[in-house]
Amino acid sequence: MTIHTPVGYDFDSLAAECAAAFDRWTPGASEWDEDLLNEWARRAFALQFAENSTYGKYCETRGVEPGDVFGWRDVPPVPTAAFRAVDLIVGPSNGAKLTFLTSGTSRGTSRRGRHLIRAPELYRASLRAAFRAFVLEGEVAANIVTLPPSFTHDPTSSLGWMLDDVCAGFASELGGSVVTADGVDWAALDAVVVDAVRLDLPLCLLGTTLGFAEWLERLTDGRSVTSALPRGSKLMDTGGVKARAGLERAAVLTGLCGQLGLRLEAIVNEFGMTELLSQRYGHGDPGVPLLGPPWLRSWVLDPVTLEELPDGETGILCHYDLANLGSVCSVLTEDRGRIVGEGIEWIGRTEGAPPRGCSLATAEVLEAQAHA
Amino acid sequence: MLEAWHLPGLPAPAGWVEGRTHAGRAFRAPSLSGTEAGIVAAYVREGALEARAHRATTDVIRAIGAAAARLTAEGRAGIATRELLHVELGWDDRLIRDTLDGMARTWTTDALVGLLDSELGGPAVLDGFVRDEGWEGPGVRRRKALGPPVVLPVLAGSVPGVAFTATVRALLARSGVLCKLPEAEPGLLPMFARLLAEEDPPLGRSVAATWWPGSHFPAAWREWTKWAGKVVVYGGAAAVEAVRGALPAHTDLILYGPRTGVAVLLPDTPQEEAAAALARDVCAYDQQGCVSPRLVYVVDSPTGPFVSRLAGALEERTRDHPPPDPTPEEAVAIRSARATFEFEGYEDGRSAVEAPGESLAWTILASESPAAETESLPRVVWVHRVPDIETLEEVLGPLEGRIQTLGYSGADGLQKLAALATRLGVGRIAPLGSVAWPPPDWRHEGRHQLLPLLNWTDFEAPN
Repeated sequence: MTIHTPVGYDFDSLAAECAAAFDRWTPGASEWDEDLLNEWARRAFALQFAENSTYGKYCETRGVEPGDVFGWRDVPPVPTAAFRAVDLIVGPSNGAKLTFLTSGTSRGTSRRGRHLIRAPELYRASLRAAFRAFVLEGEVAANIVTLPPSFTHDPTSSLGWMLDDVCAGFASELGGSVVTADGVDWAALDAVVVDAVRLDLPLCLLGTTLGFAEWLERLTDGRSVTSALPRGSKLMDTGGVKARAGLERAAVLTGLCGQLGLRLEAIVNEFGMTELLSQRYGHGDPGVPLLGPPWLRSWVLDPVTLEELPDGETGILCHYDLANLGSVCSVLTEDRGRIVGEGIEWIGRTEGAPPRGCSLATAEVLEAQAHA
Repeated sequence: MLEAWHLPGLPAPAGWVEGRTHAGRAFRAPSLSGTEAGIVAAYVREGALEARAHRATTDVIRAIGAAAARLTAEGRAGIATRELLHVELGWDDRLIRDTLDGMARTWTTDALVGLLDSELGGPAVLDGFVRDEGWEGPGVRRRKALGPPVVLPVLAGSVPGVAFTATVRALLARSGVLCKLPEAEPGLLPMFARLLAEEDPPLGRSVAATWWPGSHFPAAWREWTKWAGKVVVYGGAAAVEAVRGALPAHTDLILYGPRTGVAVLLPDTPQEEAAAALARDVCAYDQQGCVSPRLVYVVDSPTGPFVSRLAGALEERTRDHPPPDPTPEEAVAIRSARATFEFEGYEDGRSAVEAPGESLAWTILASESPAAETESLPRVVWVHRVPDIETLEEVLGPLEGRIQTLGYSGADGLQKLAALATRLGVGRIAPLGSVAWPPPDWRHEGRHQLLPLLNWTDFEAPN
């Protein structure tokens, strides 16, 4: 494949061309090779350098200009903390059609990160292409059932937008969202399960690991209907269980598999970040490696020196995501992980540095007082 | 593997627990049963009582001073001390020498005598009843002060020498010591205790120290808390709460929590000189101490010129005293803080970052807006502009009672600054350059060092 339209710095046409290229992709397609991604990376960087002025200054400070970028690896990555500090968008901030907020409060600040989305259609094209490949495994429709979050009820949730969108894009005759303003409509979920069993239609259940943990509790204590789901059913979880002490993802999934008659291979783990518009997916438990579309690349850096580490070594994850054309494509995370085969293993967030000595982190004091 | 224990009276250890310092060096300590911990505690108590019976406080001071001097001298013990700190902390030799020299000033016999003079009018009151010359009641009154037979310091922090300091204070109070060593720097106190035992065997047997993982309280802890008349805790809020919850009711607890250091540049500050002095204070203890300045306020002038000078001074200091690598968590946190200031600066022009490129050796986070938010990160300094001292009071108000030392440079408004420091509960106001090295008789957290350990007995008599 070649890039047909000379787009210059026109975001809309470049985004449209990019979205079309995402749409066309299927796993194994040869056109998304290294050269093509590098070509996209050069053009995307030229656009972002010129039209995302904050990012442009960041790159200039590091002595990197468009002429210095020959491929995706040359693009200066932006630390995720930048999303908590400023708006990173190509063009003016009022050009954003969606604003997603990160969930985390970290580093002693309650300020949530913002990812301004100028082209939702690019997000849609990327997520649908990867979802079709890694969750639906090439199918074009499924009986999708989505648990929270939902964009309808939380218009700042990138995950909610994604779940609503795959529901809209791939839903078949059965299923849909079982989310209400108060959480899960458990009766609706029970009804879908009963119908699926009666009609022998496989379900594709999507939600957070925590949401599934709650369902497992209900299945275990009899508040929800327990049935062996029809053959071909699958479950995609995301987000982990960090927010619930004592809960392990493996235990949740094993329990659900037992209750719903699923094999562990039917479990798909989704890895996504608000700061990235593409996702990775892993099958089974522990869901490693996490694979993604070819316009999402990851590498691992030594946290102290920022030198790239060899495959298999644990360090800080850095991602290049062409779907981030409207903001910044290269993102340096605070996550620990490693390269495994063609994908990655996500190991966890790097927690804030524990205080050394008797020195006080005043941020904690101020944070506590702000919430008092 | 490093041995992080000194347990007089203990038969051969049956098992071990292992830990790692911040620099990643493995060490081990005996896994004490309750019975073994009780044997050690009894031995220590007996040693302390024997020392009380047969040693005057001046003898104790002499022995401590002699043992401490060997830690910093050029002899075998001094070499071993520097090697130990290098291994434990990952510090280079020059930083270790500077730190030891600074600490050694508070360990000398003269310094210890000075401390007793300052707080107790001299050592005599620890050895016998001393007439209270200010007594206006009938007859005479005499007074005697003593610590409990056993003090239990618990060190959750990692500033080198804190375990040592806590132990010396308890010994001066004529108490025996059962010390829970800090994970980050567990070796110095056992080394001192062995030297002390060589200088004065009865005194040496009144100090025991070991380590166990901070997340649990083993049988040894439960046993030792039964013997301790006072428990002294150095650590953060989580450590303090954990210890408090694991103590018998009515235990006398002395707390030293984490605090921060603040520096203020008054309008007439000679900036070049102040930058060099501040860099010295920042790099001392590799900024792990509660006295280390983190927050710097430039009164009534833009931060830029001072930040440039401070950057130069930190770079020069770092060339001579390179810091150890930060931990991965610290590295991520430093980059996150840098990104925040850098990107905010691109947007509003009021924030900036000074750093040696991508190196994490030092970082200055500068802002023209007043704020007081910091994290506990090595060689990271937050520099803010404030228009006047009144604004500084508003900014620092939320940190009342949390500021250990306020460093200053310049004289214009100094009295006003001192009055503000008093209102904020600051324990010490000192010129930049001496912030990291409090004098031997300083008021740690605004309190006496020895008095909290002592019990006083008043003896009133007709004559």
